Amino acid sequence: MITLSRTQIVGAELIDSDTIRINGIQEDHIYGMEIHLDVNVPKGEIVSIEGWMKRYTNPVCTEAVDVLQNAVGINLREEKWEYRLMKNIGRKGCEHFAEILIECGRSFDQARMAKDLEGALKADPALDQQQFCSQWVKDHPEIEAGCLARSR
Amino acid sequence: MILDFMRNKIVEVEPLPDGSLNVFWKLRDSLMDIEVILKVKPPDLEIVEAEADLRRMPHQECSAALELIKKSTGIRVGAGLRKIADGLLGGPQGCKVLTQAVLESANAVILHFTRPNLKPNDYAGPDQKIEGSRAMVKANPRMAGSCVVFGENSPVMKGF
Repeated sequence: MITLSRTQIVGAELIDSDTIRINGIQEDHIYGMEIHLDVNVPKGEIVSIEGWMKRYTNPVCTEAVDVLQNAVGINLREEKWEYRLMKNIGRKGCEHFAEILIECGRSFDQARMAKDLEGALKADPALDQQQFCSQWVKDHPEIEAGCLARSR
Repeated sequence: MILDFMRNKIVEVEPLPDGSLNVFWKLRDSLMDIEVILKVKPPDLEIVEAEADLRRMPHQECSAALELIKKSTGIRVGAGLRKIADGLLGGPQGCKVLTQAVLESANAVILHFTRPNLKPNDYAGPDQKIEGSRAMVKANPRMAGSCVVFGENSPVMKGF
């Protein structure tokens, strides 16, 4: 049988050309939490955040909700942004809040690419999606590089 | 509002009859569909088998990442794991998603072992829970400073 299961759900909506709203839910056998954050698209900066701790192991855990505000101002495009979130939200607050926040951050540019791909597919349903994504990366030098597909 | 992007991620740990742990990790979102299965063997928690299935990836180059997962065999779940996984699976010729898969699977293994220790205190009062956390940090001092519960101003750390 399964003795430990964790699910993360991230949803993102581009409110306008400047703002993306990202919602993250994390549920596992031990913890349950949810966050909403707004990110400034041109800057890549977290501009607001709120969170709910639904299941936790210790009464002190709930103090981590206020610590989430340390994320405001953190830039999701700067080098080692994941490390910075884990340090400022995880270690000073709650590691599991940081985990779902990082997952939301990873979805930030992916959501922008998905929205543009969806628009392009409406115009051309037979579009080569991988070619579109490769071109999208080339056209958006602001996004995180440093892997097989995004080496520059 | 209508969403522009959705991601679902799941990681599951299943103990096998031979004592090893099967860890199933899956990411499915608007652009990607990836599955990773690791077999982790106690007591060293060594990854002894690793497989990946990249069903849908946004870039053609990503298909080369399939073979990368084999590099995770031999890694042990424990101290230094992040640096080792980054070195073997990350970098300009690597894959961040597969690196995350290994790290998150390892984290799930740790939570699998943590869960039974937390269960007895589940219905305890706040003071007992604080006492329980104090006993945990006494047994494992590396937990000090790891989160707000074990932070310097926490009641858990009084007298520690």
